[in-house]
Amino acid sequence: MASTLPAVAPTGTEHRPGPVVRRTVGRSVAARVRPWALLAPALLVLATLLLWPLVRVALLSLQDYGLRQIVTGESSWIGAGNYAEVLTSAQLWQVVLPNTVGFAVAAVSCTVVLGTAVGVLLASLGRLARTIVSSAIMAAWAMPAVTGTYVWVWIFDADRGVVNHVLQTLGFQAQPVNWFTDRWSFYAIVLLNVVHHGFPFVAVTVLAGLLGVPRELLEAAEVDGAGAWRRFFSIIVPQLRQVFAVVIILSTIWDFKVFAQVFLMPGGAGTNREVLNLGVWSYVESFGQNRYGFGSAIAVLLTLLLLAVTVVYVRTIGKEEL
Amino acid sequence: MRRHTFGRTATAATAAALTALALAACGNGGSGDGDPGGDEAEGQTLDVWIMQGTNPSADAFFEEVATAFTEETGAELNVELVEWADAHDRFVTSIAGGTTPDVAETGTTWTPEFADAGALAPLDEYVASAGLDADLVEGLVEAGTYDGRLYGMPWYAGVRALVYNTEIFEQAGVEPPTTWAELEEAATAIKAELPDKIAIAVPGDAEFTVYPWVWGAGGEVATLEGDTWTSHLDSPESQEGLSFWTGLAEQGLSSAGATTWRETDVLDAFAQGDVGMAVMGSWTPGAIIEANADMEGKFAAVPIPGKDGGIAPSVLGGSHLSMFSTAENKDLAFAFIELMTTGELAERWGEQAGYFPGQTSLLAETLESTDPLVAPFAQQFVEGGGSVPVSPDFGAVQAKKTVGVMMQSILSGSQDVATASTTAAEEMTSLLNGGG
Repeated sequence: MASTLPAVAPTGTEHRPGPVVRRTVGRSVAARVRPWALLAPALLVLATLLLWPLVRVALLSLQDYGLRQIVTGESSWIGAGNYAEVLTSAQLWQVVLPNTVGFAVAAVSCTVVLGTAVGVLLASLGRLARTIVSSAIMAAWAMPAVTGTYVWVWIFDADRGVVNHVLQTLGFQAQPVNWFTDRWSFYAIVLLNVVHHGFPFVAVTVLAGLLGVPRELLEAAEVDGAGAWRRFFSIIVPQLRQVFAVVIILSTIWDFKVFAQVFLMPGGAGTNREVLNLGVWSYVESFGQNRYGFGSAIAVLLTLLLLAVTVVYVRTIGKEEL
Repeated sequence: MRRHTFGRTATAATAAALTALALAACGNGGSGDGDPGGDEAEGQTLDVWIMQGTNPSADAFFEEVATAFTEETGAELNVELVEWADAHDRFVTSIAGGTTPDVAETGTTWTPEFADAGALAPLDEYVASAGLDADLVEGLVEAGTYDGRLYGMPWYAGVRALVYNTEIFEQAGVEPPTTWAELEEAATAIKAELPDKIAIAVPGDAEFTVYPWVWGAGGEVATLEGDTWTSHLDSPESQEGLSFWTGLAEQGLSSAGATTWRETDVLDAFAQGDVGMAVMGSWTPGAIIEANADMEGKFAAVPIPGKDGGIAPSVLGGSHLSMFSTAENKDLAFAFIELMTTGELAERWGEQAGYFPGQTSLLAETLESTDPLVAPFAQQFVEGGGSVPVSPDFGAVQAKKTVGVMMQSILSGSQDVATASTTAAEEMTSLLNGGG
């Protein structure tokens, strides 16, 4: 019976009641297959470029994999040994993780708050002023992380830096201070660097969102007597929820894996173990010592951690919207 | 709504996955290497990696080498200059992908590491049949020998000595020191006369400037007994050396910034004329003048003084030429190694780069130099050359910055010499014996 029916029904058959059910079955198979067929090339590329390396990393994390294994091609499986070593490391819990998480929280909040403030400022500016301000912040954004880091290092340099110079001239300190040896001042400088480099993205994204907020809503609120703060928190923030979600998730991921901004600072490459973060620590402990299996285990854990943060965040946002 | 949530989770998952990749994107290279091997060298190409920056006129030098090499063997030479900073990673990825060059310059501390991994071919037979085995600089042979076989052909080496600013010395009225007491007096006099200058730079992140003081007091970095390494950074002698060196900084004779300095920072400050004395390499005079032409003729060097006179040993740092086990025509590869490391080309390379040749007969000529910026280094090279522990695991000690961590914690005042050196010795012993 089925074979007598056209497999792919031409449009002319639509008003005949009989074969309708079968036709939808036929169409639904085709409809289900077609998108996948169209997606297949892209998925294949993604699987090769993303999924396979990911699987390799997971497999490597279960091995003792060093230079010798690379040359000989032999593998030495040690099960969860690498994970056990990572998770039982006192340095991870006392220094590395607090530094990484603490810094990420501080950096994400500062970046988002400052970025939003600048975004709001941009939205309220005239055409010319907006062009000038946005070009200025674009310059901060466009600066490569390495260059930016060196500028901050130079500003805080103990012997020739402008900060020490000013503080000594004003009489706040008698001797030059090396700002890079203390955990707190070290990360304060990293924070300045990362926020300075990261807020323009937030500002521009928030600006784009702000321009999409219907003007009538704001005007109506103003007529009803809402002040600037009230309008911001009751109208703009809810309207920009999606924008904030994207901005916060991306900033979290970026700030979690800060590497160059710490590694390039004086003492940041491992001579000051108090300031190690996850990125530098994994580099020093694994790649510097050719322990690729161990490094992979750290990478897998970092991925899981970021996934967990993201899932929790997305869930929270999702619930609020319901 | 749910669908939506999933979609975004997936995006975030992808982004997170990318993070992991960025961290782990190491160790996967292409595969396949390949010049087809023929019996005659004609038509073949030898791939060589050389480190960039050693010799300022490397391009012209290698053009000449290529001509000489083609004349001698008929084969083409393909030289690629590699940055020191990227080199280790590039070696490792090329080893993984089987795309190693035929011959490469390897830093002396890397040679045992790559040899241990099985990536290098032993050179003993070639060296013996070329009649060179008695004519190679001892310290470099030692550094290139692993498990009783020679994997690194001595090419060139440098050594660190005590470089001083002659103008500052004249103004303070002091003479180059020959003992530690004299050194301390000189530094104190400089500080008294010129309080804005750094009397002596004591950098926190420069391990090779630390070992001379350990050795100069009669201490050891680490020794091998049987199969077991033991670090002696915490011995009373070593601690005495460390106390003296870091004590100079404690007395305010160094600078607050130096706590986090690397050797490049020392060089910058010295070139600006801000530093009285510093431990610097035989290759730095050229760089100092290049950074600040005004410094020409305003600095000189002396061997690093031992505690009560004599010379404190300093590490012979340098490079080998190593043959990779993937080299298809090993005779051709050694022909290149021999051409580079002996005779006229080796001598010229040393002169241009400010290094000493790895061939004893060539070194003898260099030693006759009376240049005030060559002779003291040459004396240090011959009479006060030392070696870091020759172990494939010493790279791990360097990667973990064991010595830098010790120095910085002492200089920043967070630990005393006894505590910091004990921790460092324990860590070094564990790392050298293959512990994580």
